[in-house]
Amino acid sequence: MEREFAIKAKGIIKSYDNNHALNGIDLEVRSGQVLGLIGPNGAGKSTFLQAVLGLLNTEGELEVLGLDPRKDRHKLLQKVCSITDVAVLPKWMTVEQVLQYVDGVHPRFNIEKAKSILSQTDIKNKSKIKTLSRGLVVQLHLSIVMAIDAELLVLDEPTLGLDLVYRKEFYSQLIEDYYDGNKTILISTHQVEEIEGVLSDAIFMNQGKVVMKDSIDAINERFLELRPNQDSLEKAKSLNPMHTRTELGREVLLFEGTEKDKLTGLGEVRPPFIADLFMAIMDKTKSEVL
Amino acid sequence: MKTLVTLIRRELQEHRVGFIYAPFIVACILSLVVISVYFGLTDIQTTEFNFTTKIYENEEALEWMATATPELKTAVIRSGLVVLGFPILLTVAFAILAFNISTFADERKDRTLIFWRSLPVSDLTTVMSKILLVTVIVPLLVLPNIILLHLIALLSASIFFATNDIVSFGWVWNAYSFTDWFRIIFSLWAQSLWSLPLMAWLMFAGAFAKRPIMGALVPIVAGVVLEGIVLKTNYIFTFIEDRLGFWTRASSFPKQAEELRVVDISDIYLMLTTQEFWIGILLSSFLIAGIVYFRSKNNDYSSE
Repeated sequence: MEREFAIKAKGIIKSYDNNHALNGIDLEVRSGQVLGLIGPNGAGKSTFLQAVLGLLNTEGELEVLGLDPRKDRHKLLQKVCSITDVAVLPKWMTVEQVLQYVDGVHPRFNIEKAKSILSQTDIKNKSKIKTLSRGLVVQLHLSIVMAIDAELLVLDEPTLGLDLVYRKEFYSQLIEDYYDGNKTILISTHQVEEIEGVLSDAIFMNQGKVVMKDSIDAINERFLELRPNQDSLEKAKSLNPMHTRTELGREVLLFEGTEKDKLTGLGEVRPPFIADLFMAIMDKTKSEVL
Repeated sequence: MKTLVTLIRRELQEHRVGFIYAPFIVACILSLVVISVYFGLTDIQTTEFNFTTKIYENEEALEWMATATPELKTAVIRSGLVVLGFPILLTVAFAILAFNISTFADERKDRTLIFWRSLPVSDLTTVMSKILLVTVIVPLLVLPNIILLHLIALLSASIFFATNDIVSFGWVWNAYSFTDWFRIIFSLWAQSLWSLPLMAWLMFAGAFAKRPIMGALVPIVAGVVLEGIVLKTNYIFTFIEDRLGFWTRASSFPKQAEELRVVDISDIYLMLTTQEFWIGILLSSFLIAGIVYFRSKNNDYSSE
């Protein structure tokens, strides 16, 4: 039976010395979503992902793939894959040894599939992991993950420290070869612009709270960015933009819930980049607090 | 079972130098020494230990060889082989010591813990695989090296005796007890269980302390000193001393150990009847629970 929700979280709190790393997270992630967790350092993204993986005890109700990650971590990890940091594959192992190891402990790992994926790369089975470049280690880790028939994939800064080419390759391989519409993927990264094209949904987090959650399609419908012509600037400002920023000396206005027709003719109109939208929402939240 | 086998195989792949290569190399070196001695290339003569063919120039020794009872011959050969194999055991003991202190500390230090814990293997299974490795598997791996050394020593001695007309080629083989192989492995397993509290303590220190060596030593030194000052007793020190030594020589062992003998299987039963053995197992169980707890809490790898 297909599960409607991969993750259900209600009132999730995690505190460290009176500081709330997670401050009442309420969230439902539908199966098949590719969800981006977006937020500044300390927003609680990694803490939430650790809670999802059953690595942390939290207050509140948390259900991942129908299981309580704190109590059923072992069962859960048979259905969940994670890349928390690409630099953690054991350096002393050979590629063959790490594949054999995963094959020995993971009931859903298909070693032939992993070898087939690796055969399309420069990675040799006999190579020691310590001899591989960081980019190749990422490919190896991704090959392992792609050969696991998991229902949920958790990626926490998976491309940290990689150069642009490998980062792009990582996400394109992930979506083209791995994502089949049924798997749920959670991605947390600081390089928002690189995952923007692969996301189906986004969550904005700040100070342990969910600031906004919506599908990318809904975001694109709800928010519009206008680069007004010089003579239309005042008219555009009169339409109550939610945020204004300056880009190369030119003002860029962000509108929420404004019909596209009203903006067309005033300048260049398009959906905002997720990163820009996030910054706008953060600024708005800050000004509301002040 | 498949998971456990995989975990143990992974440990052996990582620690093959200490657990596989080192004992084999030591066995080979010792074998070369034995061959060299029997072929007259060298002698080993220290105040504690003599290993030389010169003793066979002595008439009394030759007469003893001709007239000794089978039991006595077996006992003498056993004693010699026990001493000969001791460096192999010492090598493995150091490898186990290094493994125990580093195994949980290293996975935190190099952050491979993140990878291990991202797979469906419980902390308890991981910890038990490491305990099983040092208590059961490593002794099994040591045994072939000891057997190899024994066989080379017996063959060298047989050739020496036969070619020098001292006794027949079969003299040593008749006196050698092949069932000693079982005695050795059971004795090593018993030793592992006897020393388990110390091994578990070192693993525990590796699981919780930033500096595992300090984490292992400081509480023990502090405990010994405090016990001496406050209670005027030395239970902690005696406990550690006992567990570091051979189980048949522990102060609590109910039978006086004979000098340099290979233990009887019945000795293991005797050990199982002592309160001290079970105190050690109980203490080890608490420490194992502590290792599992600390390993499960080692999640300090947030990228935030």
